[in-house]
Amino acid sequence: MTAPLEEHFFRREYGRLVAMLSRRVGVHHLETIEDAVQRALLAALESWPTGQVPTNPSAWLYRVAHNNLLDELRRRARTNELAAAHELGQSDAESSPDPFLAGDVRDDLLRMLFSCCDDAIPVDSQLVLALKTLCGFDVREIAERLFTTEANVYKRLTRAYGRLRDVGFELRDLEPTELRQRLPSVRAILYVLFTEGYLSSHADGAIRSELCDEARRLSELLAEHPLSAEPETFALLALMYLHTARQSARQNATGGLVLLEEQDRSLWDQEAIHLGLTWLARSAEGDVFSRYHAEAGIAAEHCRAPSFAETRWERIVACYELLEQLAPSAIHALNRAVAVAESQGAAAGLAVLEGLEPPPPRLAESYLWSAVFADLHGRCGNPELAARYRDAALSSAPSDAVKVALRRRFQALP
Amino acid sequence: MPKYLCLQRSLPMAKSGGEKPSPAEMQAMYEKFNAWREKFQKNLPDLGGRLGDGRLALPAPAPDGPFIEVKELVGGYMIVSAASLDEAIQIASECPGLMRPGSGVEVIEILIPPA
Repeated sequence: MTAPLEEHFFRREYGRLVAMLSRRVGVHHLETIEDAVQRALLAALESWPTGQVPTNPSAWLYRVAHNNLLDELRRRARTNELAAAHELGQSDAESSPDPFLAGDVRDDLLRMLFSCCDDAIPVDSQLVLALKTLCGFDVREIAERLFTTEANVYKRLTRAYGRLRDVGFELRDLEPTELRQRLPSVRAILYVLFTEGYLSSHADGAIRSELCDEARRLSELLAEHPLSAEPETFALLALMYLHTARQSARQNATGGLVLLEEQDRSLWDQEAIHLGLTWLARSAEGDVFSRYHAEAGIAAEHCRAPSFAETRWERIVACYELLEQLAPSAIHALNRAVAVAESQGAAAGLAVLEGLEPPPPRLAESYLWSAVFADLHGRCGNPELAARYRDAALSSAPSDAVKVALRRRFQALP
Repeated sequence: MPKYLCLQRSLPMAKSGGEKPSPAEMQAMYEKFNAWREKFQKNLPDLGGRLGDGRLALPAPAPDGPFIEVKELVGGYMIVSAASLDEAIQIASECPGLMRPGSGVEVIEILIPPA
């Protein structure tokens, strides 16, 4: 009987194979590599179920994909693409020893991640490229997860492929200094990947957690590699653990949103909290305090608090102040106002908001902005203002789940 | 129990669309196939396989006939044991590898001479 394959086997193998082969023949052949990998996976799908799954499925796939790739590159060399012939002659593709012995597959994955984070590739293209090559999602799946169209994903990808083709051979071995230079972009892309999943309003919970899992998996690689194991990376990983720990409590059985003060804290994942706090402790060395530190610090305070009322709001306020200095943003100020309202009263929270520069229209028109005003005005005894903001919040709520949660919250107001 | 030869046939009019399955879809197909195989374990004495190139051998030189095209249309074979043709068709139809866009299955009883 065929043994069941590990979860996400095909997607994981796709990422591993693309990374390993890119290392061997150069990332400028990326599209050809992806094609060879796709065909190897199809071959497995056709032959494994009726016969035997090989003892080492990964090695089997590597062999098939590697042969597919060399065949294609040789074919091109024959059809007088001299450049291809030249490269093939230079590359170690033919003589390379068993890649599973020669180097850690994880090294190859990281290298691929760094290749995606080329400054010359726009950030939104970097994200899509990483999802495609490292996570093994196809264009349709990426579009679904990022709430955009397939045409848009395709456009972003094309830009990235174009850049990688131009860079050509030099990228094959990024120097350690280059890798260090790219490290902030790599963390930024993993952060975006995580946030896309965490804030996603996708109806399917599995799809929502998938992006978070992928981001955490890649961040873990980063945190374990000597080149990128540094406090900022640890803080990034800590914040991912501390956020996902509370994820299952954020939604009820019917997919409705559960507000922080209503959440059943016994549903929080204690193991994830423990891991998050461990990484956070490791991040507290050196002299860099990054936005990841601030955000992980905030998440840690929530995770540590036995109840909403017993939260150490003054510490959360302090973290938001630091976060605003590191990454100025009206949304951080809004969050600080909420924390101030909890620690010093609604009037103090309102004072914070009234002291702010006008926020960008996107935020000013969002339900979040209006909802906080409605809440604080309600608690300060300004019923007319509260009602006006309440209506604005409800009419700009992006989903029914948000609307329901808002109504419940507003009903609790005095 | 009678045995049936199942031939996977590509349907020329419905090209599979050119859409390549994503790795996640491949995983789903793999798991579906395994579930099917488990469900009909006792009906599947020979899972067969895909068919490659072949040639028709004839006692006399082959006329350019309809024979050539046959091989292009048959992608694979499998033996199913079932109580009836209908049951065999049912089993084959539930196989995710056989019944999909651009593919169908032909089920033929293998006659066994009476003992």
